[in-house]
Amino acid sequence: MNKYKKRKKCVIYFFICVNCLFLSGCWDRTEINDLALVTGIGIDQKGKDVMLTVQLIVPKLLGAGTSMNGSNTGGGGATIVRSGTGKTLADAIANLQEKLPRRLFWGHVKAIVFGEKAAEAGIRPHMDFLSRNPQMRLRSNVLVASGTAKSVLELLPPIEQSSAEVMRELSKSEILMNATLKDVLQMLSDDTRAAALPMVKILPVEKGKTKLETIPFINGTAIFKKDKMIGSIGDKLTRGVLWLRNEIKQANITVSVKGVKGKITATIIHAHTQLIPKYEKGSWKMVVNITSQDDILLNATNFSLYNEQHIHRLEKELARATTARVEAALQKVQKEMNADILGFADAFHRKYPKEWNRVKKRWDEIFPTIEVTVKTKITIQRPGMNTTPQGIPAEEVEK
Amino acid sequence: MRFFYQPRKLTKNRSEPLTATQKERQEERQDALSFDLAQNVQTLQSIYENCSDVVFRPLRVGGTTKATLVYIDGLVNVDELDSIILPSVMKSTASDPLEMQHLFEQTLTVANIQKAKTVAECVEHISSGHPILLIDQQNEAFSFGIAKWEKRSLEEPTGEAVIRGPREGFTESLGTNLSLLRRKIKSPKLKTKSMKLGAYTQTNIIIAYIDGIASDTLLEEVEARLARIDIDGILETSYIEELIEDNPYSPFPQVLSTERPDVVAANLLEGRVAILQDGTPFVLVVPVSFYSLLQSSEDYYQRHLVSTAIRWLRYLFLLISLLLPSLYVAVLTFHQEMVPTTLLLTMSASRELIPFPALVEAIIMEIVFEALREAGVRLPKQAGAAVSIVGALVIGQAAVQAGIVSAPMIIVVALTGIASFTIPRYTAGIALRMLRFPMIFLAGSLGLLGIMLGLLIILTHMATLRSFGVPYLSPMAPMQGREMKDVLIRVPLWKRNKRPRLTGTDNLTRQGPNQKPNPLDGDDKTRKENRHD
Repeated sequence: MNKYKKRKKCVIYFFICVNCLFLSGCWDRTEINDLALVTGIGIDQKGKDVMLTVQLIVPKLLGAGTSMNGSNTGGGGATIVRSGTGKTLADAIANLQEKLPRRLFWGHVKAIVFGEKAAEAGIRPHMDFLSRNPQMRLRSNVLVASGTAKSVLELLPPIEQSSAEVMRELSKSEILMNATLKDVLQMLSDDTRAAALPMVKILPVEKGKTKLETIPFINGTAIFKKDKMIGSIGDKLTRGVLWLRNEIKQANITVSVKGVKGKITATIIHAHTQLIPKYEKGSWKMVVNITSQDDILLNATNFSLYNEQHIHRLEKELARATTARVEAALQKVQKEMNADILGFADAFHRKYPKEWNRVKKRWDEIFPTIEVTVKTKITIQRPGMNTTPQGIPAEEVEK
Repeated sequence: MRFFYQPRKLTKNRSEPLTATQKERQEERQDALSFDLAQNVQTLQSIYENCSDVVFRPLRVGGTTKATLVYIDGLVNVDELDSIILPSVMKSTASDPLEMQHLFEQTLTVANIQKAKTVAECVEHISSGHPILLIDQQNEAFSFGIAKWEKRSLEEPTGEAVIRGPREGFTESLGTNLSLLRRKIKSPKLKTKSMKLGAYTQTNIIIAYIDGIASDTLLEEVEARLARIDIDGILETSYIEELIEDNPYSPFPQVLSTERPDVVAANLLEGRVAILQDGTPFVLVVPVSFYSLLQSSEDYYQRHLVSTAIRWLRYLFLLISLLLPSLYVAVLTFHQEMVPTTLLLTMSASRELIPFPALVEAIIMEIVFEALREAGVRLPKQAGAAVSIVGALVIGQAAVQAGIVSAPMIIVVALTGIASFTIPRYTAGIALRMLRFPMIFLAGSLGLLGIMLGLLIILTHMATLRSFGVPYLSPMAPMQGREMKDVLIRVPLWKRNKRPRLTGTDNLTRQGPNQKPNPLDGDDKTRKENRHD
């Protein structure tokens, strides 16, 4: 009898324990076939409303798994776009979900694109939503389209699976600006109150291809002040900004040395930029120290790079070119746009917290007046596989 | 920590009344042989009523004294009976009991001659293949140890194949098995205790251990657990295993069974106890830990670096065999954000036309795989090819083409199947294979949370298990750093100076120090050291 009672007790405890599992109430089991995989989000301004465009991957069109049927030969047609509008982004999503039989799944968003108008209207409310959603990845790239975001997402790239993937890969290459959702959130809440996002344009369609068979590419940088876009700068200036932000990873510099015909191109192996803020007697100064190690990529002159003096002359030229580029960027961003995307505010805040706190309210007035000195030092590490210029007789080489 | 070495007593001193079989046995044993040959023969004949294979051969010793030879046809070497025993017995001149005593004890050219005084003893000898000679006017019978029956020759054990290592395996004959062990461990310290189990089968059991290495408490416990077995028959060591286990409800094997003499010898040398049984090539070794079930004898025959790598591979595939299908289901139904996008797209594309949820798909495929495996084991060899064709083509390719299961699922199931076979002990592998199913259900209903829950339950269960008093997860839990050298890695032999502390308690030193080969440092040094010793 005792044994029986014990067993009964055990069974009761077991059921209590099992039932506890169901008390949590939310069961988020979803079959993968019931999900709409979003790879890219586009946010456009449509009058007063927000238009949300999502780029969805259609697994059916991918052809994997059903390779036996082999019907999918077109390629590059694996994505579709759908749009929804609403007063806010959340409204727009609700509107969009009405038009989709599958549940939107944000776990694989690769690129978030703002249309130019939406960017000009301010991105803060959108950013709040994007960072609040648990499914969203903080690693997704954020970009600004020079037209509408929808037009970018609609593209069907010939090589990559989706245009979002194209934008992510281009951002990752870090030739130009690269910003993730996390970066943007940080930039917006920083002392600088300015942000720089990569700008995308649509590559002109090749002849014989349909209108959509092309890719978006990163070209220039959108400059944000507070959360609103105030303008954009081109490729060259972006490179200058990257130097200042210590973000330059890959760049070629082409110079010609005085008194010598032809040009020489060097590529950066390693570059480092240091911002040294100075506050003296009420005047704000900034010294920008740039050091970089380069390799020679191309030598179209008759200069022998075996000669140390030639190398020194070349290094000076390269430094001059770099400084010029950085100064041009400063001119535009600091003086004209007055947007501190260079991180000057942070540098001052760190070194002179008291003084900075006094002026932080009128930083906008101070920033354009900062005296910036750019000091560049470039060393050439390797002249490449050849020491002498190739393709000319040895007598013509200037040793 | 001392309590670990004390095996938990499982046997109770029971004073219950004897069972029917025991009573019967006792009564039989008691009646002694009489001086009357006719009566003795009649008693035996009544015992062996309706046993057509028992031969009663009346004869006269030395042409005068009446006698009867009793034996079971097929268990006795008749050639020897004809050529050695019968001629010398029948042609001898012995007439009185003293002379006969002399004849059997000194002139008969048979090594093993024993006397039987009771009917029960006679029966025992007859059943084990020893002919019995009942002589008139004597209350003792003589038995001749010339048993011989058909045996399988030594073969390589198919269940535990090795690339390097001895190729002989145990057979069904207890004597052969014991001789195999004795040939490995020649020291007289190898002790064997014999007992009989099974009321009807009267199966010979031998407990083998090495005196001075195996701890006495362990030996006592083994004997006690064996002694309480009261069953009609023992046909395989698994019968014994089930009757002496610490936790009979656990899916995990708590006793090692092996067909390899070298495995048994190695375990004896670590202070474990082996249980051999007549009629099966499988020998039990106790106690074991979970990690020793994941070791193959070849780990010690291959180079130690290779063995260590293979051990890690086994641990990895152990996890795969337990978790891969459930992880796949969990990720596919709960955690889609965890998969790299491209992989997820491939998986979702392949699942697009599948009519079942991932959970159902996984269960179906796993069950089909288990059925294929079971059929492969049971089927006659001639039909084996058919199964593999059906398995590979129909289940693999056709099912994917027909859109019933997805290709990634086939890969998952195949990988899991292979993974479970990397575990050297079949019993351990099959336990994990079985646990895979509840894990899939947990994954399908609670996702990764469910998998963690399942893993916790399994781990807790394993941590509570003991094999003859030794914690099942030792030396990992309880952690014993010194003994980890044979778990995560396989240390070189010259570093294994100590026996495991949980089993080889009496004599911990396994080998002398300085076993590391060191030819460059000069032989002289080591030689000198040895001389000083």
